[in-house]
Amino acid sequence: MPASQNAALPDHILAAVLTLAKREMLNKQPKETRFAFHSDDSQLQEIFSELQKDYRILDAFVFSDSGPEPYSPALEESVSSLQLSGLIGRENPEYEVVFLQPSADGFFDDVLTTEFDKSQLEQLTKIASVFLDRVKVA
Amino acid sequence: MAVSPAPPSLEERVDTFVQWLFEDFKPVPPTGPKVFNDALLGHLLFAKHEVAVIDCPVLQRLRRIKQTGLVYYVFPSATHSRFEHSLGAAALSERCYDAIRERAKVEETTFPGDDADLLHLRMAALLHDVGHGLCSHASEQIYKQLSNLQEFKNDKYKANQEGEVLSYLIVTSPTFQKWFEEYVVRGCQVKLDLKVVSDLILGRHGEKDKYFLAKIVSGPFDCDKLDYIARDSYYCGLALTVDLPRFYSMISTERYKDYTDLALRSYVPVEQILFGKMNLFGSVYHHQKVKCVGSMLRSVIGHIAQNPEQAKFPVRGGRHVSFTDPVEYLYATDDEFFSQAGGFGDEYTKNMLSRFRNRNLFVRCLEISRRTVTNWQHYGRQKLIDLTVLPEKLLDLENKIHASLPPADRAKSNRDDVRLSVPGIPPLSGEALIRTYRGASAEKIKKYFPVSEWIQSYAHNKWRSYVYAPREVAPAVRDAAISVLLEYSGLKIDANMSNQTCHL
Repeated sequence: MPASQNAALPDHILAAVLTLAKREMLNKQPKETRFAFHSDDSQLQEIFSELQKDYRILDAFVFSDSGPEPYSPALEESVSSLQLSGLIGRENPEYEVVFLQPSADGFFDDVLTTEFDKSQLEQLTKIASVFLDRVKVA
Repeated sequence: MAVSPAPPSLEERVDTFVQWLFEDFKPVPPTGPKVFNDALLGHLLFAKHEVAVIDCPVLQRLRRIKQTGLVYYVFPSATHSRFEHSLGAAALSERCYDAIRERAKVEETTFPGDDADLLHLRMAALLHDVGHGLCSHASEQIYKQLSNLQEFKNDKYKANQEGEVLSYLIVTSPTFQKWFEEYVVRGCQVKLDLKVVSDLILGRHGEKDKYFLAKIVSGPFDCDKLDYIARDSYYCGLALTVDLPRFYSMISTERYKDYTDLALRSYVPVEQILFGKMNLFGSVYHHQKVKCVGSMLRSVIGHIAQNPEQAKFPVRGGRHVSFTDPVEYLYATDDEFFSQAGGFGDEYTKNMLSRFRNRNLFVRCLEISRRTVTNWQHYGRQKLIDLTVLPEKLLDLENKIHASLPPADRAKSNRDDVRLSVPGIPPLSGEALIRTYRGASAEKIKKYFPVSEWIQSYAHNKWRSYVYAPREVAPAVRDAAISVLLEYSGLKIDANMSNQTCHL
């Protein structure tokens, strides 16, 4: 069986982290209606490569160390995939603001909560919390 | 109790393949350099030691693999091979290197390369695609679905694509290294280190000062992309312009975080390359009929992999392969595979090869896109995209669609006749560097030009998924697919809208 089927998909991990970060932010700031943050792909790569050292669930994002910066093709593809599927969007004109679309909540509640077990969801919640601290909320 | 020997490792299996390639090869030492007349790039000069490599079976095998796989079923001129692309990439690697050296000379800055670097660069570009198998990228998609790729997750090449890893393993195989040492290094009296060459293929270099060489072979704007964008558009008859001289006039090296990297002086050439690439994806690689023949190839290969005893593919020397391992795809080339009129004794394979021979292709039954899905904002799109990396789920859905057909239609078709094609997104990174004026520091090109968003925007409007089947069962497959996909993803597909493009 292809190995890819045994582990959680990188897209799903990223979608879960972003949705949980959104929920934590909305808990802290109930007046907000959406979750958007400033980030470009390089920052995401940096944040996730650091988080990976502490959280095994992020091993799905394999980082190459051959160049000046850590780089995970899987993370870059996951961002593309979530954008293509409409779970996240980016704002014009500089595209540095990433925001979650309403469909991300449905995906998390209907699909991801059944895919990840309790301990994985706990890990993802911690990751989301650290992630939220690292990014600048828009 | 006897201990059974461990199964051969990926490295050993690749070496066995290289041994097989060299089995009946009698090297004839080249007499000197050679000029190749390339339709796209003109006269390409190769040194004596490069001719030795070009003449060896590792490179000659690429003559029998089409650069664009099965695209020629739609664009009849696209019969160019991986071989000519490899020659082109080698030539373009030198043009890039020369452009950087020339700029450094004019600007009186230090150029971090030397003649030995150029030799290694050209050799890496020449060998970068030797890991391609049957129908190029079309079969890559298939072995990703049918094989366990865990062995490709080695620390050394964990972030590389499987095709690059296979090229690396062929070049580092003991058999190739031995031949290379004897006939190239000693035979042609040239100092070449295959370790440096193979690292460049993976986009690596042991010295930070020479990292730019790795980027010329494998990076956001490498010689591979520059050649294939220009070559594929030329042979497909698309009037796309890739202004290579302009591109090279704007490239230089730049220090970035202790590494000497490549940097462009303007994003204008990037726009041109992106436009070319997106046009190729929209018009060629993701053309609905190209996806259709790719899906049909998956039917044949999948059938062989599932029935290895009755349908195994015969190769030279009495061997057979059943396409369960990515290395097995190296044994088969396009010419050899499609010339098997007898279908290796298997009825389904025979019928499918007859379909390919007579261009009796499956047809589109259903289009899944923003124009045919009425609840496009639903997260079901993500579940559909997941199928690009969940091959068993994809197969399960295809089987469900077939099982849902009315009995009369089910009897007229095979389970492997229903194909759901879900394209991924064209890859192109915005991580390349730009330096806007002399003295400025290097920055990521996406600060000036939103590379990935540009692709996203284009892809969002162009992205389409299709269900294919033989014409005689197409309406029934369409109806079954609408129900099965609604249940799986929640996406509501309007049959009438879909019919407008599928002509059912």
